[in-house]
Amino acid sequence: MTAVELPQFTLVDRKRSRERARRVGRVRVLVLVGYGIIGVFGLVAQLVPSLEHRMTDQSMRDTFLPPLSPGHLLGTDVLGRDSLWRLIGGLGVSLSVGLTAAALSVVLGLVVGILGGFFGRAAEVTTSVLVDVMWAFPAILLAIVFAGWLGPGLPAVVLALALTGWASFARIVRGEVLSLREREFIAAAQVLGVPKVVISFRHLLPNLLPVKMLMSVFFVATAIVAEAGLSFLGLGAQPPTPSLGVTLAEGRDYLNVTWWPVVIAGGVLTVLVLLLNGLSDDLRDRFDPKLRERS
Amino acid sequence: MEYAVKRVGYAIFVLFLASLVTYLALRATPGNVASSVLNPATTPPEVIAELRAELGLDDSMWQQYTDYASGLLTGDLGFSLVNRTPVSTLIGDSATYTVVLAAAAFALAFGLGVPIGVLAALNQDGWFDRLVRLVASCMQAIPNFVLALLAVLVFGVRLGWLPVSGAATASSLILPALVLAAEPGALTTRVTRTAVLEQIAADYTRTLRARGVPRRRINWIHILRNSLSPIISLGAIQIRTLLGYTLIVEVIFRWPGLGTQLVQAVLNRDYPVAQTLALLLAAVVIVSSTLSDLMYRWADPRVRLGGSEPS
Repeated sequence: MTAVELPQFTLVDRKRSRERARRVGRVRVLVLVGYGIIGVFGLVAQLVPSLEHRMTDQSMRDTFLPPLSPGHLLGTDVLGRDSLWRLIGGLGVSLSVGLTAAALSVVLGLVVGILGGFFGRAAEVTTSVLVDVMWAFPAILLAIVFAGWLGPGLPAVVLALALTGWASFARIVRGEVLSLREREFIAAAQVLGVPKVVISFRHLLPNLLPVKMLMSVFFVATAIVAEAGLSFLGLGAQPPTPSLGVTLAEGRDYLNVTWWPVVIAGGVLTVLVLLLNGLSDDLRDRFDPKLRERS
Repeated sequence: MEYAVKRVGYAIFVLFLASLVTYLALRATPGNVASSVLNPATTPPEVIAELRAELGLDDSMWQQYTDYASGLLTGDLGFSLVNRTPVSTLIGDSATYTVVLAAAAFALAFGLGVPIGVLAALNQDGWFDRLVRLVASCMQAIPNFVLALLAVLVFGVRLGWLPVSGAATASSLILPALVLAAEPGALTTRVTRTAVLEQIAADYTRTLRARGVPRRRINWIHILRNSLSPIISLGAIQIRTLLGYTLIVEVIFRWPGLGTQLVQAVLNRDYPVAQTLALLLAAVVIVSSTLSDLMYRWADPRVRLGGSEPS
């Protein structure tokens, strides 16, 4: 191809471009902070077995110590366990549950969405009926049903969250695939006789990357909240596993005695969700210029 | 009309599948119902056999499902395994409480969310708009059970202004309804704000202003009416979310509704109750999403005449 001289715009709106640069810079910092936090707690989650005694050591003499007590930066809980270690362990549990559930939902949603959008009428009808049935149940309700099935515990929570999460994602993926399959490169591949499975892997999957990243972050946030909620109800993490939900439930019973376990655990959970929401907003801004213009 | 019949038929089909799902998920559990209610170690085998026969556990899976389904259709919902009350009585008692709570929260979310959203849009980038945006994103980030606990702590334990448990007095409704309304309300506010901003920029608004129509009339009659369609379609999604949240919020405030009942039933492995409640909630969601699809078609001629399905 011969090089075509593109018209150069010399009149640059200085203020606008500076503002844009600043915004992109801020986005990068937030993304880094977000990944840093997730990485640290992911590591702690890996280390949980060797640190477990710190989270479960009890002492009936030192119950309900206030924050900043000697040896216990955030004080202790009803069994005299160190609140800071419980918090760190709980965050590790939250993030590993969130990441696992998100990964499972994304994979399931991709499979069902691509099947529904690209593999003919029968697949389309079957998958959309499946999605509608799943959608009939509020997420928490299905989670409760699964907790009843597998018995309360984290595996039930992960399974329930994965099985409720995929339905909404499958619907989004299907929409994207429907528009992708009209594009020339997909049509060209089909005309060349490339099998549909190969097209799915080689051409559809890479083009679904922005949606995948966005929804993963969103799923991690919702799964973390749902895990805490189910553990709060007694259907999730079982003692002595540390979990923000369990800390909140214990705090609820002793609200007359002391208020800070509820405030600290609730605050940490909220900040975590805010961070993840910020992360997904930034990802959306980067990947979807159309949305950026509108907001 | 043809579309309406098709849509309702489809809804019935989905409802049938949903009943299969709840049935399988709760009944086909490892460990059977009879042995989780009666301890096999201490109960004579005859008693367990009797309970198994009474619950129809010796029949085939399919036989059990058709018994259950025909029971549902004729209104015979079985008995609670825990206290032997008919399931229909249990549901009748608690459904009223849930409906009252959910309706109050729904009214709060839309009654406050829509006007606040309009005001924020009219005041775009002013202090009110920025405050509303800040509060709305906080309300969307705080998990509702955390908000519920904070409400209990501040208004119940510290200040002692409002009751935080049970449903004895009318004022018991205030805290749970407010907590439940927080997130849907924040979402409604944001959607309304965006919709109104879009309408403010529309050509017809400029024309109305040029013709000298009073500002207040343009804002609250013309713009609001044209902003309603995304708000309506949000409503159906909100019902599903609200029902899910009701389950947790009811437990925290010890509100004697369906949610408290359902969590109790699951924890006690009281299958007849849990199964029926789960299906009931799913049915409400299916009915409301069908209704909203039909309403959407009726309200927006572009969807009706365009021939394409609303997505």
